Amino acid sequence: MKRDEIVVNIVMIAFFLFMLIQAMELRFVRRFAEMGSGFWPILTLFFAALLSVVLLISNLRKYILEKKSHAEKRVISPEVKIALRDRRRKVALSVVCLLGYIVVMPYIGFILSTFLYVLAFILALGERRKLVLTLSPILVTVIAVIVFAKFIAMPLPKGIDIFATFSRLIY
Amino acid sequence: MLDHYLTAFSAIFLPQNLLAICLGGLWGIMAGALPGISTSMGVVLLTPFTYAMSPITAFTILVSAYCGGITGGSITSILFGIPGEPSSVPTVIEGHSLAKQGRAAYALWVFLLCSIGGGLFSVFVMMAATPLIANFALRFGPPEYFALTMLGLSVVSGLSGGSVLKGLISCLFGIFLATIGTDGITGIERFTFGTTILLGGISFVTAMVGLLAVSEIFIEAEEPFKEYKGSAYYRGMREEMPKASEFKKNWPTLARSPVIGTIVGALPGAGATIAAFLAYGEAARTSKHPEKFGNGAVDGLMAAESANNASTGGSMTILLSLGIPGSNTTAMLIAAFMIHGLQPGPLLLTQRPDVVYGIFVAMFMANLFLLGLTIVGIRIFLQLNRLPYSVFSATIMILCAIGAFGLNNNMDDLYLMFIFGLIGYAMRRYGFPIAPAVLGLVLGDLAELSLRRALLLSLGDPLILVSRPISAILLAAAVFSIVYPLFKKPKSLEGV
Repeated sequence: MKRDEIVVNIVMIAFFLFMLIQAMELRFVRRFAEMGSGFWPILTLFFAALLSVVLLISNLRKYILEKKSHAEKRVISPEVKIALRDRRRKVALSVVCLLGYIVVMPYIGFILSTFLYVLAFILALGERRKLVLTLSPILVTVIAVIVFAKFIAMPLPKGIDIFATFSRLIY
Repeated sequence: MLDHYLTAFSAIFLPQNLLAICLGGLWGIMAGALPGISTSMGVVLLTPFTYAMSPITAFTILVSAYCGGITGGSITSILFGIPGEPSSVPTVIEGHSLAKQGRAAYALWVFLLCSIGGGLFSVFVMMAATPLIANFALRFGPPEYFALTMLGLSVVSGLSGGSVLKGLISCLFGIFLATIGTDGITGIERFTFGTTILLGGISFVTAMVGLLAVSEIFIEAEEPFKEYKGSAYYRGMREEMPKASEFKKNWPTLARSPVIGTIVGALPGAGATIAAFLAYGEAARTSKHPEKFGNGAVDGLMAAESANNASTGGSMTILLSLGIPGSNTTAMLIAAFMIHGLQPGPLLLTQRPDVVYGIFVAMFMANLFLLGLTIVGIRIFLQLNRLPYSVFSATIMILCAIGAFGLNNNMDDLYLMFIFGLIGYAMRRYGFPIAPAVLGLVLGDLAELSLRRALLLSLGDPLILVSRPISAILLAAAVFSIVYPLFKKPKSLEGV
């Protein structure tokens, strides 16, 4: 049992309790002879918070028992530390790439943002072969534009100013 | 009824629907076969693109993907020893053993013919049983609908994997998400915090794409850099076509397994995995050569494959007649019904017989087409398998983004997809199953509205829920469905 699981449990309880307080404000909003807008969310959030507390207690018990049985601190080897850091870095970079893709798409348009996203994402995942880095962003973007913008005629974002002019040349 | 079938056949034989069967079937086979994508994820990725299609074409492509996905999961199982789907684990045991003995093509033929046989059997059962069950369910009022949604939500124990407690929390989170937006009865805004994005509620498809697909790519990003290698065992399908006598020899297994698959598929939350294991276990118990099990037993492979494909018809029967999902993928299909303005359940057959009979015929045709599609699919799969995984997941992420954006042509949906991707990643990371949250999101709204209408009928007396026999039986079944898995685990799943 890791400490971060317990932190996640606490965050969940805080979230459900916060929403429960919000739901309490809805409990008097109702039509005649009707149970109202607040009843169902209050019921749901109450049980969600309750079960999260049960889970927290169970996790805390496991954590304390594990701590007792492994009294001496476990030593993590440098290789495992590097591997863990590398995993976290790749996930963080994947998240940043996706967020960046969504943020810039309305400004630079679908074509350029997709090209840049594919390049950044495969680099973030560890791809270093020049041929793959050069060809795949172009191929994926071209196929996506042909299928979705041309064939299905989806109104994908065109971007603004010069990027919009460029997008209009293609779709 | 004959009129409905004739209309459905004439609709499905339109070129666009035949193309939909081929594309959906191939997409499903790829989704089932390629590690990192599951059948349910394949259906979710496809759903946004069906938005602009007619309901018949949309469900033709979706059910073809469903049937293809269950079939495709066994390709990697036989060729690489990697189960594309959890239901393909018995296929790995027997099919991959045969492949290692140099009989990959033979194993692929057996899997393919048994899958199609099992699938067709369950389609016929679905055609016969759906109208009967739906007709009975027409007597349902709001209390029965509430009990029915509770039965639907009770599959959470079956979808929870390791921890039922985490599954329940995940399901309650999904039900809470369904309450966000404008309340259908009082018209008041709930949990929108003054934003316009949440005013119409959370889009099922955006949430599902984020929770299932985007989070899966984040999880896969953690893995070390990888490239897939081709199979050394596969040289072509022509070499080893099995003889009819081999199927005749194993007729008891071939007769029993589709029945097990269809019945188990119809049980809420059971699905293809339990069906495949039960049929495999039964084949091992009754086999004349039990010593061959684990080393390439053909009857074991036949049992598992007939049963897991037969589960599709069983799951679809209760989805179409009662509106309850029998598996992960049928839970995703409920969302697809809703985006087309349809509510699966007893009324669907009377209100939109064209769609229901269209689905029957589409599933029948999809199972027939799977013979050719799987052979083509194996070739495409072996080519796609050479793609670097990074490029593959970038492509899936772009599909997710286009799918989420395409629903309303709105960038806000992309931000919602991103947020749900992060939530899904955290849920997977800490062992919270995703499927119960999706189930809660999809069924939560109907459960709330039915309960409120039932209590309006009884002027606030909750006894209405247990004083009507059908409602009481359904609620008891829901309680049983949640409690039973806590005490009993199928023997065949022990140690898996």
